[in-house]
Amino acid sequence: MDKNGRAMVVGAGIAGIRAALELAETGHKVLLIDKSPHIGGILSQLDYQFPSDHCGMCRMLPMIDRDDSSQYCLRKGLFHENIEILLSTEIISIDGEPGNFSITLRRKSDWVDSQRCIGCGICVSVCPVDVSDEFNEGLSYRKAIYLPVPHAVPSPYTIDAKACTRCGACEAICPTHAISMSSQERKQFRILVVDDEMIVRSSLMEILDTEGYSAEMAESGQKALEKLAQQPYQLMLTDIKMPGMDGVELLQKAKSLYPDLPVVMMTAYATVETAVEAMKIGALEYLIKPFDTEAIIDKVFKVYEKFELVHARKEEVGAVILTGGTAFFDPKQDKNTYYYGLLPNVMTSLEFERIFSGTGPTQGNLVRLSDGKPIRKIAWLQCVGSRDIQINADFCSSVCCMFSIKEARIVKEKSNGSIETVLFYMDMRTDGKSFQRYRDQAESLHGIRFERAKVHSIAPDADAGDLMLRYTDISGKLHEETADMVVLAVGQRPSSAAKLAESVGIGLNSWGFVQTSPFSPSKTNRPGIFIGGSFSGLKDISESVIQASAAAFNASKTIQRATCNVQRAKTDAPLLQKPPRILVAVCVCGNKNPLLRGAGVCQELVKEWMSDPAVIVAEFTDQICSEQGEKSLAELVGKHKPDQVLIAACLPYVYGKRRRELSQRIGIDPLLTEVVDISSLSDSEMIRCAVGMGIEKLRRMEDLPIETLPVKQKALVVGGGIAGMTAALGIADHGFEVDLVEQGEKLGGNLLWLNSSIEGYSMQTLLEETLPKVEKHPLIHVHTQTRVVSSYGQAGDFITTIESKETGVQTIGHGVSILAVGGTEAIPTAYGYGKSSNIVTQKELEEKLRNKTLDPLKLGTVVMIQCVGSREEPRNYCSRVCCPTSLKHALYLKEQNPDIDIYVLYRDMMSCGFAEAYYTQARKSGVIFIQYDPSNKPEVKISGNEVRVIADEPIIGKKIEIAADLLVLAAGIVPNLSNSLTHAFGVSSDQDGFFQEADSKWRPTDSMTEGIFACGLAHSPRSVSESVATAEAAAQRALRILTKNQLSAGRVTAKVHHSLCSLCERCIEACPYEARMIDPEEEKVMVNPARCQGCGSCATVCPNGASYIQGFSRQQMLAVIDAAFI
Amino acid sequence: MAITAKINVKDNDISAAIREFFISVLDTEDVSAILIPQHLPMKKMLMPTLVTDPQKLETADPLAPCFPMNAARLVSRLTRKPIGGKILVVLRPCEIRAFYELVKLNQGTMDELIIAGVDCLGAYKNSDYLRFLKQHGDKATEIFYQNALNGKTEITEGIDISPACKSCENPIPEGADILIGLLGADISNHLMIQAQSPKGEAVLKRLNLSEAEEPSSRKEAVSALISKRSSYRDEIFLKTHEATDTLDKLNNYLANCVNCYNCRVACPVCYCKECVFVTDVFNHEPYQYIKWAKRKGMIKMPADTVFYHLTRMAHISAACVGCGQCSNACPNDIPLAELFRMVAWQTQKAFDYTAGKSLDEKPPLSVFREDEFQEIVGIK
Repeated sequence: MDKNGRAMVVGAGIAGIRAALELAETGHKVLLIDKSPHIGGILSQLDYQFPSDHCGMCRMLPMIDRDDSSQYCLRKGLFHENIEILLSTEIISIDGEPGNFSITLRRKSDWVDSQRCIGCGICVSVCPVDVSDEFNEGLSYRKAIYLPVPHAVPSPYTIDAKACTRCGACEAICPTHAISMSSQERKQFRILVVDDEMIVRSSLMEILDTEGYSAEMAESGQKALEKLAQQPYQLMLTDIKMPGMDGVELLQKAKSLYPDLPVVMMTAYATVETAVEAMKIGALEYLIKPFDTEAIIDKVFKVYEKFELVHARKEEVGAVILTGGTAFFDPKQDKNTYYYGLLPNVMTSLEFERIFSGTGPTQGNLVRLSDGKPIRKIAWLQCVGSRDIQINADFCSSVCCMFSIKEARIVKEKSNGSIETVLFYMDMRTDGKSFQRYRDQAESLHGIRFERAKVHSIAPDADAGDLMLRYTDISGKLHEETADMVVLAVGQRPSSAAKLAESVGIGLNSWGFVQTSPFSPSKTNRPGIFIGGSFSGLKDISESVIQASAAAFNASKTIQRATCNVQRAKTDAPLLQKPPRILVAVCVCGNKNPLLRGAGVCQELVKEWMSDPAVIVAEFTDQICSEQGEKSLAELVGKHKPDQVLIAACLPYVYGKRRRELSQRIGIDPLLTEVVDISSLSDSEMIRCAVGMGIEKLRRMEDLPIETLPVKQKALVVGGGIAGMTAALGIADHGFEVDLVEQGEKLGGNLLWLNSSIEGYSMQTLLEETLPKVEKHPLIHVHTQTRVVSSYGQAGDFITTIESKETGVQTIGHGVSILAVGGTEAIPTAYGYGKSSNIVTQKELEEKLRNKTLDPLKLGTVVMIQCVGSREEPRNYCSRVCCPTSLKHALYLKEQNPDIDIYVLYRDMMSCGFAEAYYTQARKSGVIFIQYDPSNKPEVKISGNEVRVIADEPIIGKKIEIAADLLVLAAGIVPNLSNSLTHAFGVSSDQDGFFQEADSKWRPTDSMTEGIFACGLAHSPRSVSESVATAEAAAQRALRILTKNQLSAGRVTAKVHHSLCSLCERCIEACPYEARMIDPEEEKVMVNPARCQGCGSCATVCPNGASYIQGFSRQQMLAVIDAAFI
Repeated sequence: MAITAKINVKDNDISAAIREFFISVLDTEDVSAILIPQHLPMKKMLMPTLVTDPQKLETADPLAPCFPMNAARLVSRLTRKPIGGKILVVLRPCEIRAFYELVKLNQGTMDELIIAGVDCLGAYKNSDYLRFLKQHGDKATEIFYQNALNGKTEITEGIDISPACKSCENPIPEGADILIGLLGADISNHLMIQAQSPKGEAVLKRLNLSEAEEPSSRKEAVSALISKRSSYRDEIFLKTHEATDTLDKLNNYLANCVNCYNCRVACPVCYCKECVFVTDVFNHEPYQYIKWAKRKGMIKMPADTVFYHLTRMAHISAACVGCGQCSNACPNDIPLAELFRMVAWQTQKAFDYTAGKSLDEKPPLSVFREDEFQEIVGIK
């Protein structure tokens, strides 16, 4: 069986992009598809993201071999040498097995040639159709030809085939002939209209003709069969009541001869029953007379679409990653007590996201769409369509709490605090790193009100457009409150792609979401097909990204180790010494550029440019974007043999692959071709300037050699818990040696005492399965009872000293480090812990249950207190696992002994995602949940063996006292990441001692120092399966380096003129990538080319240009700036 | 608590008194050398000298109202690498501040250095000082202080301390290990000497000086001087702003510049090994000059004079200590100190930074604050 090195990623949202980039960076070819006409998924609609309230998506772009990829805003677009992107494409089927899948794709035909479209937008101005704009969540209108995402560059317009009337106006006006409306295509769609009534036939003919189809008539069944015999038709519309052969008979005969022919029955109201019967024997649809033109067009179009769409394409890939994203609850469904869709100022969170977006319907102004009034007060309602058993949504959607807090904070910031904001919620689920502090700040710093209450209905207030909210607080008291806008935090629903997953044999959970493996959340029950992002349940960005990386890791494992180091075409080094010979080609854009009309202007410009000794020829040419234009440019180059080429044209060249393609075609290094955008300039002087700047840039373009650093293709993993073992195994399975260092006596970490997961999967089994694989792996060297003493070096080349009692001190050379040192349960300092044997922590309870030293049958009353020492300073974070653990324990105890009274004292139950069902189950089984406020914590009284817990019960509004046989404290997790360890590796820890990521959302397992990664509990509190995901993600990040035998720097990297350097070291402090250091022996500032990202901070702080960016010399930049001034 | 002591003055000769003091310091052999301004035997001009033999301190005059150059650069040269022994340097407050900036830029170290600083009542331009010296001879320094401490610095008509000094609101050597105080003291009787750091204390302890109280009127004298200078500074800023607030005016202001680069050489915080203006960056190709000339019909030669000053401003305005040596060095009397001081003041205010004030305060360009200048970077 041939293993196929390619992978396919289905869904180009952020998870898809991440997975594709991960694989591309390890040398795999990737086919990235999306059914929509743009990449970016839902994130393309969201301008602001927690916690920085900015975007930051670009931080996913490759930092190693960065010249292989685009390096601009990822929301605008993406290209990578190894990634092929297919948009408007869907999967029809997946056949085959891991390593060898055969996939059938269906791609919608593209009427706009993206290679030709220059994004001028003239087409939009002539389009007569207005349809609701899905990008703005239907809050505004767009044309049938439109930009799917307004910020995409190059701006590829697309035609909404369904809305388009084929009037041809855009085709006629397009300056680059990029649009070819398929009137021919529609003409190929032949429709036979069969009716005995002339008037019906001709009116139908007229409609179909206008729509561009080829329609023909037959006045009887017999005639129709004759016509069908003469040539193929794609659709038949037939009347039912006809003299002689009636419609049903015709249908039967036609179907027996032409089984694939779609037939639509036309019927008067009286014969609807017959029509329904007809559908049973093969009719596709029926239409009721008298006809509604719209209905006909719609029905016909549906058939036509199928005909048109079948441009099936087959692809062979080794592994598949499904990143199908999520769908959202539609609040119009159900009882709709919030009058969504009826009251204009009730909107969903996604719609509201468009309101404060600069590209949204109000251009980011916080006004009501209904009347344009400035918004004064907004109420967010949480859990709309989530945590609702009545509508079969017994799950939490995980992200909505933070999403709403973010929206409210942005509203506060945008309005300078003047807009009143209130969040109605059940539990505020701040279960991620730094979430709790973000929420606390929202309340204390931004003045956002948090109201623990369920709003049961909304009614229009007396004041026009305002809304009256009715809610009951926790004590059951009824309240009324008005707001002028209500945002519904709508929950998740399975995405439409879940059907696809099901059709290829992947199991779904009871709510229709993709079911993943118990301890590896990117694996499915079908080997070789993996899941990333929100497809298996809504996730925040960082978790999506982690899971996408994990999916990429598993895909990569499936398709074997990538050995290929992408070879860059070697180009002849341009010689600085040689005087420049520049060719200037100015595109007149189909003579549409008014500035270049009139020979006088052009001649003058040419004359001026040619007077520069560096310019050997300057010419005006047309449509360089077209095949013909490219050819004539190549001819010009062939004739004049320039060393540099300057193209003055429009935007698309500046971006994407085309510049490289063009460079290849004309045989000039892309470095020596420069493209200036003249399409948006308003006078010819500006064209003169723009071209002048380009000439100056090329005149001084230097050769930019690419530096490489050798890679030690070995890994060091610190920590032998499940995260460390998973990472080590993953890397070793890819064929690289791993040193696994564990401080303790045994591998296993927290699995050594954990019993089972909340779902009931045994941790014991997981450990028993993993341990021998690690211990017996020929490429893994396990060092137990060993600690790391020191580590230094750089990505690809580290040297670490480890020490053990047995073997003493040892040095290891390796290319990457993964920190998986884990975490432990915190030791409680409150609620009488340590003063009674009846007060235990969750871990102690788990151990007691595991070694059966606690008999549930002997327990009468159990009290559990959540958030012990957590979610308040100094440990102001949620440990994520304690609430599910309490639920797990409560359910287990109840199962063993249904008579136990169990009280859980909680602040916010953090049963996120599908763990919510266990919360519901616990309540159903009689566990009592009592909410407490941190300002009024429960009290514990101990006298002798007796433990009594006193707490305020908010529902009855009274103090209660519980005599507990057992008090369980949920103490939370503290990391094992010691200062000496972070010091040794030169990484940082966050405020709470967990690993500090390079970027919490977009580079969640990377440290700021390339080559050092972290996973598991050292990274953040998380469950076992979530730890595994981070381990797989970290391993994948490590593989980006390990799969290369040398790391190449980008062409644009920083350098030092040592003779000019005063050694003030300002550049070292300014470098955000720690790419600079001083070599004390040489007394020189050195740059690590692999770490350097060419950002230019060092060059900026250096006063005399001793520090500079290769490719942006001072002379060059000054000359370019100078040329900009006329 | 800091040690405060007295140096007794005989016959009104404060120069002699201070000389005696430094001779005694060098005699202790705790320091291996002293950097101190001294009248050179031939021309009498004052120059920094590096002295190891106490007997060679006989013409030292660290209080003379002149500093021919900002000695911070010299101290930087002396301390960039270990020299094997402590040296004491006698500096004016602006020299100390400039040196602090250089230390922050790794151009010098404090390890083997003891700084003695003097209260600064201002200095004359080099050429003015020579005239002043000629007129008053050996008594020049004494006469200067008798007047200056009473507020009079224009003792000889037409010769006054430089505008930079007049507008300097930092006359006290705050960063020094040893402070030599004149303000508030009865200089006919004594000078005040004070240790401001453990290093300074160690030196003074060895000398068996008679302890004394800080003169009671010192605080008042200091604040009066600062307030006088601050208001002069504000006046100068207003005038300079008015004279340079358009590009045309700025061109005019700098019109006399001949690109001699003296100001750059004189500037203590211009620390580049080789200035970008002498590299090839500004060695334009011949056609470029013609191109520029064609554009406007005429260009001033040498070109790049305004650009040169703007570049220097960009480079040093966060580190400028306002010593005025740029004006002192200008052969064409361009009032550079006023312009640079004004820009530097605004720059430093913007970054909440005061050049030379503290070694712990990092230079603005070395500090990254995510939330700064939001209105400029477009966050708000």
